[in-house]
Amino acid sequence: MTKLSSALRSIFQKDRVERDLDRELSFHVEMEFEKNVARGMSPAEARRQAMISFGGVEKFKEESRDVRGGRLIESLLQDTRYGVRILLRNPGFTFVAVMTLALGIGANTAIFSVIYGVLVRPLPYKEGSQLVVIQQQAPLAHVDNVPFSVKEVLDYREQNQTLDAVVEHHSMSFTLLGNGEPQRVQTGVVSANFFDVLGVTPILGRTFVPADEEHGSDAVLVLSYKYWQQGHGGDPNIVGRVFQMNNRPHTVIGVLPPIPQYPVEQDVYMPTSHCPTRSSEQFMANRNARMMSVFGRLKPGVPVAQARADLATIAANLQKQYPDSYPSNQGYGAIASPLQEELTRKARPTLLVLLGTAGLVLLIACANVANLTLARLMRREREMAIRSAMGAGRGRLIRQLLTESTLLSITGGLVGLLLAAGGLQLLVTFAARFTTRSSEIRIDGFVLMFTLLISVVTGLVFGLMPAFSSDDHLAASLKEGGGRTTSSAARQRVRNMLIVAQVAVSFMLLIGAGLMLRSLIKLQSVSPGFDPERVLAMRISPNWSKVNSAEKVQQLFDRVLAKARSEPGVMSAGLASTYPLNQLGITFGPFNRGFQIEGQPIPDGELAPQADFRSASPGYFETIRLPLVQGRIFEEKDDDKALAVAVVNQSTVKHRFGSEDPVGKRISFDKGKTWITVVGVVGDAKQYGLEREPSDEIYIPLDQGGFAGNLLVRTSADPMSIARLMRDAVYGVDPETAVDRVQTLEQVRDDAVASPRLTAILLAMFAGLALVITGAGITGVMALSVSQRTHELGVRIALGASPARVLGLVMRQGMSFVLAGLAIGIAGALLMGQVMSSLLFAVQPTDPVTYLAVSLILMAVAAAACFVPARRVTSIDPMLALRSE
Amino acid sequence: MGKQSDLLQGTLDMLVLKTLALGPMHGWGISQRIQQVSEDVLVINQGSLYPALYRLEQQGLIKSEWGSSENNRQAKYYELTRTGKKQLADETDNWERLSAAVDRILQTT
Repeated sequence: MTKLSSALRSIFQKDRVERDLDRELSFHVEMEFEKNVARGMSPAEARRQAMISFGGVEKFKEESRDVRGGRLIESLLQDTRYGVRILLRNPGFTFVAVMTLALGIGANTAIFSVIYGVLVRPLPYKEGSQLVVIQQQAPLAHVDNVPFSVKEVLDYREQNQTLDAVVEHHSMSFTLLGNGEPQRVQTGVVSANFFDVLGVTPILGRTFVPADEEHGSDAVLVLSYKYWQQGHGGDPNIVGRVFQMNNRPHTVIGVLPPIPQYPVEQDVYMPTSHCPTRSSEQFMANRNARMMSVFGRLKPGVPVAQARADLATIAANLQKQYPDSYPSNQGYGAIASPLQEELTRKARPTLLVLLGTAGLVLLIACANVANLTLARLMRREREMAIRSAMGAGRGRLIRQLLTESTLLSITGGLVGLLLAAGGLQLLVTFAARFTTRSSEIRIDGFVLMFTLLISVVTGLVFGLMPAFSSDDHLAASLKEGGGRTTSSAARQRVRNMLIVAQVAVSFMLLIGAGLMLRSLIKLQSVSPGFDPERVLAMRISPNWSKVNSAEKVQQLFDRVLAKARSEPGVMSAGLASTYPLNQLGITFGPFNRGFQIEGQPIPDGELAPQADFRSASPGYFETIRLPLVQGRIFEEKDDDKALAVAVVNQSTVKHRFGSEDPVGKRISFDKGKTWITVVGVVGDAKQYGLEREPSDEIYIPLDQGGFAGNLLVRTSADPMSIARLMRDAVYGVDPETAVDRVQTLEQVRDDAVASPRLTAILLAMFAGLALVITGAGITGVMALSVSQRTHELGVRIALGASPARVLGLVMRQGMSFVLAGLAIGIAGALLMGQVMSSLLFAVQPTDPVTYLAVSLILMAVAAAACFVPARRVTSIDPMLALRSE
Repeated sequence: MGKQSDLLQGTLDMLVLKTLALGPMHGWGISQRIQQVSEDVLVINQGSLYPALYRLEQQGLIKSEWGSSENNRQAKYYELTRTGKKQLADETDNWERLSAAVDRILQTT
């Protein structure tokens, strides 16, 4: 109690307490003085003796103060006040330091908010860590995500011991009528308890109940937040509205909150019984009709490993029970993985590389500010010496320096926070390319705490470096008058080491960015195999409930194609099931089917060759200019009454036909029941990404089967300019056909390299930042070194060294640190390269061109940074330099 | 001045308490009293005295008050508190036991 009150008294009645201390001590000295006078000393001698016997008044006052409570807070306040004053008095230094730190801390805050939002923050579902994705796998066929059939869903639901619930989900697109133009809506078809298992509470209305899933119940819809906002303007009265879908009225019963959706974003959700495909008797009875993905919730306390073992047992039993459905040559298994992991799998490597990069930038910023602080400390040596003489202990001085550095770093952190908030939207867009969790990225309490933490740690790091580099030379520096002192040499060493470190780290960052850029250039120069220039693509989706037979589909497509070709500005048009680099195609992967070539029977138990199965109308190959290599492409005569024909791509020929001529050969998709004649070979297109090898593709004519919902037109002018015209053309043919995903193939191609491009841009920004900071650091160190050596250099010039020679001397000294840094940087970059290799395309992590280019750039910048201050030596007047001593 | 001795760690606190047991006194008085009574063997360094006083006050063993000195100056007077008296008794006991033990050892021939 006394302690507390004394502490409070020290802080709040500081003046009185200080006055008391003064009065008490001066009383003591007075008494001593009087005693000495009484002994017969002269007054002057008496006073001197009194002071001597007392010792250093200030030092000892400081000790007395230390005994009192509240000392720490008081000195902190005092240090802070003093720190603010001294920082304000050096606006140049303060500005540079704060901005350097702001960039470093801002970059880290922004990246951390992404990492936290995407990788770390628990899923916004009830106990999200208990949610798992269940996948069937055929390891021998190298397929690790086989969809589930209805029977399989039931088997896993009933036979498992480790899961509280097993729910299914598949994605369909339906045409929704009653909201202006016909809309194609991506529909998640889910179990009734799907949202209950996720633990999602709707923001409007309700989610599904078991009654909604019963056969013959009224059709209901739950809207996703995004679709509700974008498709219906966030209409608060949406619940109860009725739309036509699949020829039935569907009533909206609820709206979901903004949650990350997996594996793709949906517009609306419906229960399984209302999906025409899913609820057909035939589909439900067929164990091999696989379409669904499956989620589960672990029972409380059950680890994922246990669930995996459980699922493996079920899979083994199923394989025994139904050998036809699970051929042993493909292998069969089932695994569970945490949903969070699945949601963020693609984002992780890129984000971690970015976090590492941002961390390195912050290190460089720290080194730079430490360097600046050291330089300033050299000028403040007298101040420090005086403070020391006035009774400040070493700990006290360090505390003062740390207070100043923390002040700087916290200010830097605040500015950095603003920078991060400004750049966040860019990062959210970036992250959206990898994960549906990107909408959860924001600067929240956690991120703020992180920023505060790294600000304080940064302050301590760059504050301690200079603080501990100063040994006990303070008295010496006072004696010598504060010119060139012994501690300066020690500090200069530390500063040089900091430069070496900065150069090394910058080099690593530049290599990272350089490799990404090289990889991007390689990627962009990859020929996609087709000509994307002036081609417009759009998805057309008929109303399936009316266009419900192959004949009607064929008629509709023929009319759409004829109408499209008749429009002005259209040079050619075609329909295809997908087109190269189509984002949806990339998401869903190839539509592989097993086939066999006539005369090459597949031995029992062996896997049939797989090829990506496509349908295309006449005109498709011409429109995207996929080159014909051999034979012919589809013509109007290839209809359902004509000979069944196919076109294969070069990759299929290489892999499956070898040296034989494929034209005229026959292939079969149904184990020899029907045969299709190969009539032509077309070039390979980069279907699933510029970085991927082309897949084996087999095309069949649209009129001979399949479905081709993508219309492609080659135009004579800017394709986007006729987008509206084409939409209206389709509506003119059938007003209930939805048109969406209208984009040019050039946009599609740009999209395919968008994520490596953004990664490269971010890395290049960070590396550029590091280079600038390092350059500034080199300049600073050299400037100080030159000004300290003015005398020495003056002597050299006086003794006959030419200015050029002296300049060379100084440059050599500066560049030697740069070279040392470069050497360390190369070693570091070689180690780091391994981490990056997964992000690179057609570039080795040890790419010599990148290493050479980066070395040259870094050397050039470093040389310039050295030269600016070094140039000053040529203007040294030896006489002035000598006299200044 | 006679031969001076360094004070054993912690004994300064006890000496201050003992001196104050005789009555309230200011810092200078305390140092003079200890010096006189010890016949100049113990010279209290002011640099240790005042921190010791603040420490003791902090611990609640002594309390202080401003008053007039014998020559009519304002001086800060320290006096023992109840806990201070108890502490002094404890420390005196300890000291006597300790010094008796040391004596016995030194006198063993």
